[in-house]
Amino acid sequence: MLRGCRSDWLLNEFVVRFAGIARKMEGASALGFIWYLIIRLGGALVTIAIGAVFVFILMQLIPGDPAIAALGENATDENVAAFRRIHGLDQPLPVQFWIWLSGIAQGDFGKSITLAQGYPVWDLMVQRLPNTLFIAVYALVIAVVISFFAGSIAALRQGRMSDTAATSASILGISMPDFWLSYVLILVFSLGLGVLPAFGFTSPLESFSGALVNGALPAFAIAAPMAGVFARILRAALLETKRRDYVTAARSFGFRDTFVYMHYIFRNALIPFVTVIGVQVRYLVGGTVIIERIFGIAGLGSMMVDGAFGRDFAVVQACMLAFLVFVLGVNLIVDIICAFLDPRRTH
Amino acid sequence: MAESNFSFKRLARDILRNRSATAGVGIIGFMVLAMVFGPSFVPYEPNDMDFMAIREVPSWTHPFGTDAVGRDVLARVLYGARISMLVTIIGVTLGGAAGTMIGMTSGFVGRWVDPVVMRFVDLLMAFPIFVLALFLMLVLGFGIQPVIFAIALVYVPNFARLARNTTLAVKEEPYVQAARLMGQSNLRIMLREILPNIAAPMFVQLTVGFAFGIVIEAGLSFLGLGVQPPDPSLGVVMADGKDYFLAHPWVITLTGLTLMVIILGLNLLGDGLRDILDPRLRKRSMA
Repeated sequence: MLRGCRSDWLLNEFVVRFAGIARKMEGASALGFIWYLIIRLGGALVTIAIGAVFVFILMQLIPGDPAIAALGENATDENVAAFRRIHGLDQPLPVQFWIWLSGIAQGDFGKSITLAQGYPVWDLMVQRLPNTLFIAVYALVIAVVISFFAGSIAALRQGRMSDTAATSASILGISMPDFWLSYVLILVFSLGLGVLPAFGFTSPLESFSGALVNGALPAFAIAAPMAGVFARILRAALLETKRRDYVTAARSFGFRDTFVYMHYIFRNALIPFVTVIGVQVRYLVGGTVIIERIFGIAGLGSMMVDGAFGRDFAVVQACMLAFLVFVLGVNLIVDIICAFLDPRRTH
Repeated sequence: MAESNFSFKRLARDILRNRSATAGVGIIGFMVLAMVFGPSFVPYEPNDMDFMAIREVPSWTHPFGTDAVGRDVLARVLYGARISMLVTIIGVTLGGAAGTMIGMTSGFVGRWVDPVVMRFVDLLMAFPIFVLALFLMLVLGFGIQPVIFAIALVYVPNFARLARNTTLAVKEEPYVQAARLMGQSNLRIMLREILPNIAAPMFVQLTVGFAFGIVIEAGLSFLGLGVQPPDPSLGVVMADGKDYFLAHPWVITLTGLTLMVIILGLNLLGDGLRDILDPRLRKRSMA
């Protein structure tokens, strides 16, 4: 009796799934997805444009003259005037903004004034972007892997020792300032055990394995607090999904536990898990700013801090926009993954 | 209404029943006591230099050791934690109050105001939070006051979005409609009817905000963009320690440990308060 019921249900499930795939093939759902993608992409572009205006306006409020910062306090008036003319600082603000914006559209972010004198900011960014991207993605992968195991174990063994251990580790991880954790990691792994190098980062473009080894400590320092957040979300989502009626129904059909977990619980619990990655990217990228300085990594974050100290406004502007694009890009990817996990979102 | 059945006695009872909240209150209480009364038990001033005792390892006379110019690190940490906590609490509270007002007004008024405000909130929330704070420090200048304002501004969008969403949820409730029918002004409805009913999630957000706010303060000061030496803040003390970290790791690790314990206390308290104050969770646990 039970057996018959189960196979009937499986057949039913198969028909539903097949119908779903067929609908996608027909193009109805695929078209909805493409529309969804276009709307999201358009929204991101509008945000970037408004972000550019916002950054430009705030930059004008910064006290201090970049010309004086570059030439020193003792610069003659003629030199300052010449400097301002060369860098277009003597133009009216709307004109400056237009020159800057149209430059960006052509991949020209202006020239570095004090950090690397006269060097195009775009070239600086191209050199440094791979390092920041590498560390950010490395940290994200570590955080996702750790939290996936910690969160799943905690939810599967709710209320037992392993749950308590994983939950406590999560809140401890969340509470660790990443720049402090960097020093503790250096202390333990470089000075104490001598297994991982503390300083001297190799670009992933030169040696990928070298970057993996040298980037392990900075990536882990950024990953630990994020892993804590992810693990908690995953645990909560799994426990919430476990109580849903369709899970009870699936169990009552006699499906094995592993099948129910894989097909009913995990798939649905992944949605909040993936969504929170998009939220946490705000903190992830912020973390790279300090971490890059501690470990001596030539990335965008350390470039922005150096630009801030050197009053190199073109560099700071460009970094702000690069970070904005990065956060929006990750959120776009998150939206796409969520749309796959839950097609209702595209309607 | 939340206002009428709220009592501190009940909140205290709920906190004692919640393990996480009890632990949080315990840790924060201890830290606050240490910050307020600790300095009078430490026989050193935070800026007293003693060149006969530089870079000492922790001992009974200097429990956290001394730094490169012989200042007692424990004294500096106690004073520094005071400044860090004050800067964070004032900054996040300012940002929280402004954000709540903006979000509540936006949600309540609706019409064209809501989409415009929310677009701007979305934009601010697309910048990495620490990068935005760093950028604001450039505009505002370095020092204690600018850090407070930078933290406040960074937190405005978080609170605005939460306040707006919760306002939309309460706006159509019968008691708000009743107040409208009674001819009460919009301002009065917002302050008397809506604010008390969205206060609980705001309060939880505030506690969680303190936890990351103090990281922002410490991070900015650590980079040299925030609180300026010789004023100690936890970030400043850690920045001192990083220069001779390899030879003398005590300063940075022990100061950072203090910072971590404070953040842990705030996170535990925030978790506990969320369980206690979130009516959705409460209903579920009663069922």
